Amino acid sequence: MRRVRPLLGTYVDIAANGGADPVLARAVNAAFEAVARVHRLMSFHDPDSDVARLNRRAADEPVTVDRWTATVLRQARRLFEATDGLFDCAVGHELMQRGLLPSQDLDHVESGRFSAVELLPDNRVRFSARIAIDLGGIAKGFAVDRAIATLRGYGVRDAVVNAGGDMRVMGETARPIHIRCPADYPFLVPAGLLQNGAVATSSAMATVARNSARPTASSASTRSGATGIDRKAYSVVAPTCLIADALTKVLVQVGDIDAGYFGHFGASAFITSAVAADDRAA
Amino acid sequence: MKWTPFLAAPAAIMLIAPAGAKVYLTVEQTQQAVFPGAAFSPAGPPGVFRASTGGYLIIDRVIGKHEYIKFAVGINANGTIKQIEILEYSESYGYEVREADWRAQFAGKSATSALQLNADINNISGATLSSRHLTEGVKRIMMMYQSSLKGR
Repeated sequence: MRRVRPLLGTYVDIAANGGADPVLARAVNAAFEAVARVHRLMSFHDPDSDVARLNRRAADEPVTVDRWTATVLRQARRLFEATDGLFDCAVGHELMQRGLLPSQDLDHVESGRFSAVELLPDNRVRFSARIAIDLGGIAKGFAVDRAIATLRGYGVRDAVVNAGGDMRVMGETARPIHIRCPADYPFLVPAGLLQNGAVATSSAMATVARNSARPTASSASTRSGATGIDRKAYSVVAPTCLIADALTKVLVQVGDIDAGYFGHFGASAFITSAVAADDRAA
Repeated sequence: MKWTPFLAAPAAIMLIAPAGAKVYLTVEQTQQAVFPGAAFSPAGPPGVFRASTGGYLIIDRVIGKHEYIKFAVGINANGTIKQIEILEYSESYGYEVREADWRAQFAGKSATSALQLNADINNISGATLSSRHLTEGVKRIMMMYQSSLKGR
């Protein structure tokens, strides 16, 4: 059974195999519910989400969040610390400045780092500076992981969950993974076979740099137009989709698949260049 | 986790995205997925159905720069959205014509060049595709519901 629904600002594709249709339908519906719950909790745009409440109030007083949000923030902290600050969800200010996120009710926000996020007992969270967080670089991966866990809870043992390019596969089948490179649309590059793991891909255009040495979206305006930005696909394979999703943002910034950050999380990285474009020109 | 990267020369292993639309649900399957057990009657324009259990199912399509999407919005009797389902999806819409020429370049290049096109290309990782066009399509449907179906 394979179903697609629009969630998390993209198309979430869930395939579950093995078992009777009514059982799979219940499992797939519940998996979509888990994704929808992540969407409700962690949307920057929805004023009632945990993220919106944190950004409005956590600099003034502790805000109680859902345990799923607390889990994602703990993982975001772990990633921030293990990547020398390259993975940083406190980029709300930069994204608002560029008009990529709405700034309604957030006039107080200043530029800052994720180290200002204090995780208190009982799922309470406080900001020690007037930052705004955006979980766009990690929540999609977490949602994919929750969907897989939900399917497993229903007894499904063979499944693929793909949230707009961030995906996780479960089961005995080694599945071929294809990469879409921004410069090569609509061509695909076969990358490898994945079994019981996750893969995520990002581009420089979609990443806020904490390392100004490399051209990403935040430095594009200083270059000679949009062509100054590279259009490679930056992919990470990891045991969970949360880790894969988050580490793609690190890979875009370091540009080095052999950087120690990836092995630290049991992940491996690869970069797909615009081979199709080059080949067509040749 | 087990990851086995392919090591072939890049030029020999490129594929084009599947050109045809993937069909996930027929209209009848969508009706039963959104309103299980209900019977349906046409309710005006094509693609608009009234469910015997209350509410409407409206089927429409959006055509973007690259994508073609046929989708359904289930609307509860109280006017809230019950469920959105994608019936058909093609993200490389409009490239069918180019595909044949492009593939021809690879004739004889490699035994695996353009291998099983359209076959087994299910797992695509890439920078996130936006569902903005669909969001606009759903808004359009809800406005149509408000103006011509609600309360009927």
